[in-house]
Amino acid sequence: MLQTKGLTKQFGGLTAVDSVDFRLEADELCSLIGPNGAGKTTFFNLLTGSLTPTDGTIEMRRDGDWVDITDESPYETTLGGIHRSYQITNIFPMLTVLENVRVAAQAHGGGDSWKLHRNAGSFEEYLEEAHEILDRVGLEQYADDAAENLSHGQKRNLEIAIALAGDPDILLLDEPTAGVSSDGIGQIIDLIENVAADHAVLLVEHNMDVVMGLSDRIAVLHQGSLIADDEPAAIRDSDAVQRAYLGGYESDEETGDKDGADTSQSTDGGTTAA
Amino acid sequence: MVEAEEGTDVAKAGEDRDDGLLSRYFRYHRVHLAVIAAFLVYPFIYSFLSTAPVVGSTFDLFLPDVETMVFVVVIGLFAMSFDFISGYTGYLSFGHALFYGIGAYFVIMAATGLVPFLSDETPYLLLILYGALFATGAGIVVGLVSFRLTGVYFAMLTLGFAELANIFIRDWSYLGAAPEAGITHGPGFSLGVPYVDGLQVHIGRLVGDSFHSFFGLFGMTEQIAQETVSFYAIGLLVVVCYFALQRIIHSPFGKVMVAIRENEERAKAVGYNTYWYKLGAFSISAFFAGIAGALAAGYRRGASPDNSFDLFVTADALLAAIIGGFGTLAGSLYGHLFHEMLDDFLSTESHGLARYLQGIIPDSVLEAEIVGELTLQVVINGLLAGRAELYLGLVFIFFVLVVPQGLLGTIRERIGGTAAENLPDHLRRYIRGLRK
Repeated sequence: MLQTKGLTKQFGGLTAVDSVDFRLEADELCSLIGPNGAGKTTFFNLLTGSLTPTDGTIEMRRDGDWVDITDESPYETTLGGIHRSYQITNIFPMLTVLENVRVAAQAHGGGDSWKLHRNAGSFEEYLEEAHEILDRVGLEQYADDAAENLSHGQKRNLEIAIALAGDPDILLLDEPTAGVSSDGIGQIIDLIENVAADHAVLLVEHNMDVVMGLSDRIAVLHQGSLIADDEPAAIRDSDAVQRAYLGGYESDEETGDKDGADTSQSTDGGTTAA
Repeated sequence: MVEAEEGTDVAKAGEDRDDGLLSRYFRYHRVHLAVIAAFLVYPFIYSFLSTAPVVGSTFDLFLPDVETMVFVVVIGLFAMSFDFISGYTGYLSFGHALFYGIGAYFVIMAATGLVPFLSDETPYLLLILYGALFATGAGIVVGLVSFRLTGVYFAMLTLGFAELANIFIRDWSYLGAAPEAGITHGPGFSLGVPYVDGLQVHIGRLVGDSFHSFFGLFGMTEQIAQETVSFYAIGLLVVVCYFALQRIIHSPFGKVMVAIRENEERAKAVGYNTYWYKLGAFSISAFFAGIAGALAAGYRRGASPDNSFDLFVTADALLAAIIGGFGTLAGSLYGHLFHEMLDDFLSTESHGLARYLQGIIPDSVLEAEIVGELTLQVVINGLLAGRAELYLGLVFIFFVLVVPQGLLGTIRERIGGTAAENLPDHLRRYIRGLRK
């Protein structure tokens, strides 16, 4: 479905992503884990075209053929079927919950968005799609509320709802449970399981319960390099992964991968899968 | 709780799709119709009140005259075009006077035969269209460059383009011996509308002294003043432009504009190439700014750098948008109306509070010395007469600090939606509450 070959991104002298060869299969849920600063979000930004790689290629399977998408910009990768959610909630705050999803669905309508003379409400297909998605993520009852009035957990669901609009082939979910209370996490897990049934999902997640419970495969990034890529059980037993990450991963929010390949590990509690 | 600003209308449009077209139209446009009706009757109310016995002179001092109202609707249209890009996509177009100026200069230059390949007999309505298209072209050029940047850098680039044009036009000897003073076109324009032109109803003030013959057809002998006819003719065009802009704002394209304002990064991420949408919105905005400029120049029968390309022209639109409410479209027109009324109330040279006080306070009191040589007359002259702009500055600060949503924005927040949709129900509930 999606593969990278020798994908590299350097910020000045720092190599945030270091010749990563990665492959995501269709209908697979793969998790990408690693300590803060390992390059996970940078990797996402490369896949979606938000950043241009220093080296390497990204290819995606579209209509049966492998297409080089290395130089595509964010809107092109999205229209090509790769949708993402964000680690730090990134919604349209003043719009209604419904409009947040509807406007995302409309983006896939080709020239419809240039029809100046028609009322947006008369395009029923986008309204219907938005309602269906809201129903799926459990936000239908808030459809007419301003998105900024949602609770944090609901905003995380809306993040996913926006990414679902337009029926992507590949969903990139960047820490969907970031900052969500333990009650809310269960609901988001259900939702991820639900969307993974009909989409290829690449999940960045710090919560090991979520990662171990959901993933078909786990890839581990450490200082920009892919140090392991295997089934959950094998990852759990891998010494290299233990040393790099699982010994005491952080549950704090990642502050951005540009800061450096920071391998320092906090002793923050949380559920340690080791 | 902050009410959702956009999106509710989409849901509503979906709900009552089954109603008849006409009844639905009137339901959504009751407030629009009321506002238009108020503007329609204003000239009559003004002439009635200002010529009434006893109180007439007082009303005459405070109410804006019809000529002022012509500029309210024209600058109101310009401010709406400014709000269209600045309030709906969040990109402050500080050089908007450029497009207004192009519209204005094009019309006058064409009418004085200064535009190659264009006869100076070209009907006015066509000149407006050509001028607006020229402004659109300029909008595309400026936008292609400026939309490579965001925020204050975008604003500064557009301002830079407008100032370039401003400096250029002030020294363009092609326009005549004194380009600094602008150009004028003495005779009127013919509108280019069949039958109407035959009735000598050119555009208001531009031709003839009265429209006696036209209204004579309907058995009216009353003479309608030139500026009143201009007010209606220009007002009609402004209403058409307003509904066109409103149509676009509620279209799928308008929804993308708002998405860009709310979160451009996410708008890109959901699949919009925002550059082209911004450029499209900017060009549309330039088109309508061009129309406003063409209307103003046609009415004035002239254009000068000071009243077209100048930064202060953009400032008028900014002021109107802030007072009326950013991102409310119609609010900009009310904002400019507020501006003009305040101007008139607080006195210009011949109008308003200073003249009123000087009229009712006996000369003996006015001339009496309060402290030293300070008289009441001196105080009034120093603080009021011709000082409207000073207080306008204070009002501007007040709005930015205390009413950041502006007049219409605040009303929308209070009634939970656009005034056109929710005001009638809101009033009905309020009146019901009063009866109890």
